Amino acid sequence: MATWTNQPAPTASPSGVPQVAPDPPPPARTWIGRILHQLLVDTTYTLLIGLPLAIISFSLMIVGVVLSAGLMVTTLGIPVLAGTLLMARGLADLHRVSLGHVLHRPTPRPHYQKSEPGRGWRRVFTPIRDSQSWLDLIAGIVDLPFALVAFVVTVVWWTIGLAGVSSIFWDWSIPYAPGNYGPFRALGVANTHADRVVLYTIAGLIMLVTLPGAVRLVALLRAHVARALLCGVSEMKEQIVGLQVRNAGLTDQRQAAAAAETNALRRIERDIHDGPQQRLVRVAMDLGRARQQMESDPEAARATIEEVLGQTRETLDELRALSRGIAPPILTDRGLPAALAALAARSPVPVDLRLPPDLGRLHPTMETTVYFVVAEALTNIAKHSQAEIAAVRVDIFDSGTVQVWTADNGIGGASVAKGHGLAGLADRVRAAGGEFDVSSPVGGPTELRAVLPCG
Amino acid sequence: MRVIVADDSVLLREGLVRLLAENGHDVVAQVGDGPSFVTAVRQLRPDASIVDVRMPPSHTDEGLRAAVAVRREIPGAPILMLSQYVDVSYADDLLADRTGAIGYLLKDRVAEVSEFLDGLARVADGGTVLDPEVVAQLVVRRGRAPLDALTVREREVLELMAEGGSNAAIAKALVVTDGAVEKHVKNIFMKLDLPPDDEQHRRVLAVLAYLRG
Repeated sequence: MATWTNQPAPTASPSGVPQVAPDPPPPARTWIGRILHQLLVDTTYTLLIGLPLAIISFSLMIVGVVLSAGLMVTTLGIPVLAGTLLMARGLADLHRVSLGHVLHRPTPRPHYQKSEPGRGWRRVFTPIRDSQSWLDLIAGIVDLPFALVAFVVTVVWWTIGLAGVSSIFWDWSIPYAPGNYGPFRALGVANTHADRVVLYTIAGLIMLVTLPGAVRLVALLRAHVARALLCGVSEMKEQIVGLQVRNAGLTDQRQAAAAAETNALRRIERDIHDGPQQRLVRVAMDLGRARQQMESDPEAARATIEEVLGQTRETLDELRALSRGIAPPILTDRGLPAALAALAARSPVPVDLRLPPDLGRLHPTMETTVYFVVAEALTNIAKHSQAEIAAVRVDIFDSGTVQVWTADNGIGGASVAKGHGLAGLADRVRAAGGEFDVSSPVGGPTELRAVLPCG
Repeated sequence: MRVIVADDSVLLREGLVRLLAENGHDVVAQVGDGPSFVTAVRQLRPDASIVDVRMPPSHTDEGLRAAVAVRREIPGAPILMLSQYVDVSYADDLLADRTGAIGYLLKDRVAEVSEFLDGLARVADGGTVLDPEVVAQLVVRRGRAPLDALTVREREVLELMAEGGSNAAIAKALVVTDGAVEKHVKNIFMKLDLPPDDEQHRRVLAVLAYLRG
């Protein structure tokens, strides 16, 4: 697809299938010009491309199918069938190109199964297994009656129209039997030169006025039937697959969100249990001792109470750290630049922090996710990487997507495998609808990248 | 008394060790996880062990499972379980072997130093000590109806019995005479249709069996 990328507007359908572009918007024409242009396109479709293509398709398809059916007892029928299907595909491609101009809609070429590398039967079977090939074949056969109707209507309207309005020039050359008969009597018109010309001209004018409409009608009828078979079915299939993929993506995101939340809650519970709760129990224990000591040894009691004071201070510190882990106050109050700067300043490994100068307030979920990506990355760097320097970059793209990138010059070997801190981080990023990847070969360096959609 | 302390938090272990040492007990080993607790008891045969429920490696009820394992190997090895929170199902596991010498207390109770040490001594003696919180949960679980037959004072005595209190201890806690407690106990057993028993541990079991329905 690289060759497509330098085009301003993608000429690929959402699924990446190249497609026949519909007509470029016609240059400003008067309404009469537009009608004449469309008449030309439709006539070309029903007359020039129409019938020959339909007859060739029909004959080749019928002959191919009948021949392959007859030869099926010998295995020769299979390659004949495959060949017929491939021909159907080629003719279908031709037909799709002309459809685009008639319908003013894209006519994407469906995915065909690619034949597998190798020779022999596997290649032969590929077109036979491909459902779109069979649709092409059916289209080649079904097209004929519609093409015939379109052809006949086009020829009749054009002929009567042109012949009628020009009757004044040729009527004299046709010998008429004298007397009033046939259509002339039925219409109450005298069988004279002047009356005939009037009659023919009126008929011709009626045909010419209705010509664009009539031709358009039959062209559309044929084109819609063809498009349904040649493009419609595969489009529908892709839409369904697309929906399924999207649903699967959403389910993943929801699961990641639930996992991240559960993990976060467990961690908070564990942190409370291991931290402040233990300290408070110890405080109670020591105070109990101090009360006991008070009677026998007031000096020891005083020393114990001093220790208890120390314990309460540490408990407060731990509670502060804990609340920072849930929702860092500086992030809530001052936004990412201040919060990330605080993280960088706290890091024992020097951090080169680069933020976009216009980094303002983002969606709260986005801010928290960015913050925790950086916090977790810096914690890991400090704990495990043995790095001397770390780098953090945040970029905002025009689309509103935010990219966080961290790197260090440490020993590498970080993993998103289950149970590592990075797995929780990956869950958190995916929960926010983003993507997360880690590159950390043994020996370093380690790079983390999180890309978050605009919130 | 020779005691083993099993708790993964160094902070709490140290606190306990000091408290025990100041009250004349000898902490013969300090361990921080389930398997090393089992090994330590096997080697040192302490008079009592104080064990935290939540310990590594699983950080769930490792201590409880280690205690059950120890008592399967050495029936009646005295163990006082400590926990940040108490739950009846844990008590059920501990009491299942019906050999006594078991205790289950909230960690907070340690702050009441003398009561804590008294509980430890009772466990070492083969008694049963249950946290009032556990008993309260049991009473709630049992439902009100049968207990409504008891007077308020009798309910208090029942709860203290379930916690493992002796007649003397209950008398002291309620500030009444031993004789009064004996009378209450007899009434409770009669009203709840329990088999009378004077031996402290069997009495607790009877009360617990009743409460557990």
